[in-house]
Amino acid sequence: MANELLKVKNLKTYFKTEAGIAKAVDGVDFDILPGEVLGIVGESGSGKSVTSLSIMQLIPNPPGEIVEGNIIFEGTDLLEAYRRKDYDVIRKIRGNKISMIFQEPMTSLNPVFTIGDQVAESLVHHKGMTPKEARDYAVKMLELVGIPSARERIDEYPHQFSGGMRQRVMIAMALSCDPSLLIADEPTTALDVTIQAQILELMLEVKAKTSNAAILLITHDMAVIAETCHRVVVMYCGRIQEIADVKTIFHSPQHPYTQGLLASLPKPGQKVRRLSTIEGMVPSLFNLPKGCSFCTRCSKKHEPCENVPPEMVETAPGHFVRCHLAKPMQSV
Amino acid sequence: MTEAKADRKNLLEVNDLKMYFPVYGGVFRSHVADVKAIDGVSFTLREGETLGLVGESGCGKSTTGKCIINLNRPTDGHILFHTQKDAAAGYKITDVKPKPVDIAKLNNDQMRPYRSEIQMIFQDPYASLNPRMTVSDIIMEPLSIHMPELSKSQMLEKVGWLMEKVGLSAEQATRYPHEFSGGQRQRIGIARALATNPRLVIADEPVSALDVSIQAQVINLMQDLQEEFGLTYIFIAHDLAVVEHISDRIAVMYLGNIVELAEAETLFKTPLHPYTRALMSAIPHPDPNVKKEKRIVLEGDVPSPMKKPSGCGFRTRCPIARNECAIEPPPMLEVEPDHFVACPYYATQDKN
Repeated sequence: MANELLKVKNLKTYFKTEAGIAKAVDGVDFDILPGEVLGIVGESGSGKSVTSLSIMQLIPNPPGEIVEGNIIFEGTDLLEAYRRKDYDVIRKIRGNKISMIFQEPMTSLNPVFTIGDQVAESLVHHKGMTPKEARDYAVKMLELVGIPSARERIDEYPHQFSGGMRQRVMIAMALSCDPSLLIADEPTTALDVTIQAQILELMLEVKAKTSNAAILLITHDMAVIAETCHRVVVMYCGRIQEIADVKTIFHSPQHPYTQGLLASLPKPGQKVRRLSTIEGMVPSLFNLPKGCSFCTRCSKKHEPCENVPPEMVETAPGHFVRCHLAKPMQSV
Repeated sequence: MTEAKADRKNLLEVNDLKMYFPVYGGVFRSHVADVKAIDGVSFTLREGETLGLVGESGCGKSTTGKCIINLNRPTDGHILFHTQKDAAAGYKITDVKPKPVDIAKLNNDQMRPYRSEIQMIFQDPYASLNPRMTVSDIIMEPLSIHMPELSKSQMLEKVGWLMEKVGLSAEQATRYPHEFSGGQRQRIGIARALATNPRLVIADEPVSALDVSIQAQVINLMQDLQEEFGLTYIFIAHDLAVVEHISDRIAVMYLGNIVELAEAETLFKTPLHPYTRALMSAIPHPDPNVKKEKRIVLEGDVPSPMKKPSGCGFRTRCPIARNECAIEPPPMLEVEPDHFVACPYYATQDKN
């Protein structure tokens, strides 16, 4: 497809440490269509956050480095610009066309600036508004995300807001420049269930009301994925294991890891006596198996798994699986 | 819950438990207010069952757990624990049925003999193990306090046995916590809790810090151990799907009070309290095909426990609140056998 909003090609982000090179993201390919909600799901250390930080070029260097790949956003290759050291390209896009919501609403707002200052900052930088205009616009954005009496509260500091409120402020900041891509890295993990429901609803609602931004939602919570996303990317040990639309992922997953992950979830309203589990644990990034990274825990492991890394196979239109057992779809 | 479990004896009775943390302010640091972390909580716990405590942050679920193991001394109320140890017989386990002790009234020294019967599993497996102690030191510590009659080799033997019980190998006993992953550390924490042969284990968010695939392993382990040793659990968590899976009965807390208490299945099928209903409808379901009934989104945030609303604590966000709710706290009503609701107006809710 030619009209994708963001295309990530063979992205490799490595961290050089004393213990060796950690291949946090090792060859990731996916794309996001305009207006789409794409979920990336995976356990800790699977590389989902590093992928999003790589897109924003927020990887701390050293120790981290994007060693290979292309990130093409609306036709511009951000990584190519990065390699030419043309940092203006990303600076114009970051916080403007691509914005981000972080996990910890407690730590991602600056405690010494007022809420209003922080929401208005990107408007002044990117939209060239005067501080007065930006402030009025910030009030409008805060009202949009449901902050009561926004005009009075705009001069308050982050500590005067509750967790859910701060996450609303983050959303207001992220959406104030009408981005075409919103990256949300575990936006509701630190929040309570009822507040989580509010925030997810709000994200989708505000997205519909404003520029219909595409959302890249990163989470470890399969249930959140099921409720919000159109397509899902499943990551494990720095590689994508499966991509499909949300119904396919939940109803006919092909990769043994996806299958195991779904089976190990307790499902509300369906009591089972025992949960099924994935045996063992995630291998260390310094000591990944030679072949398939899941082979140490896979229940369907067979001959080539240990030595030959599996390729991505398209088993049905739009359904990609990285497994030796996956059968490619019949070419017509 | 099976019939057999319903008939079991009570192990713990909590009566009108209150835990207020004083707040000092002003020039003279005078007592200006109280944080009412728990404000009149009552429930009974039967032998061998798992009681889930759920609620959002700040609702008092962890404080309740801490009061039961006597880490917080309650402001008021009673926690009757049916111990097997007898003070008259020098806290030895006796055949004579000893009187229940009121944990809420004990000081540290008086509590110590009973600590071996009530143990705790903590939330963060990274913070709850001393990084300078080896695994065998960690698991042996409660043994050397509560079972000083054991010789060193007997203790080591027991450590090895416990480690195998929780799915680790006895050879790993000489290692340090940093050499283990999160799930394995939680297993070490469980082995430490089981070392003194407890009867009641309070698990405070034991799986929330773990990855999904590891979470299922630890939950299964806890269930296996419960069966094998006849343990009673108080399982504190905010993840409702996990709590439903492991619990026989569930108590839902809001702002320091239990608002609803019922068997797990009943609670999920027919929640009655308006807060429980909102909480249930907010759970994301891991299946995109499940058609959600209209989600009840609560307005606003939980009020501060320092400035609790008068009467019912939930009335500021309640969709069916009326003027009467502000007058006095709602009584706990038993609407069906074993189904308690703290809301006199639950029947007036829209059934959809």
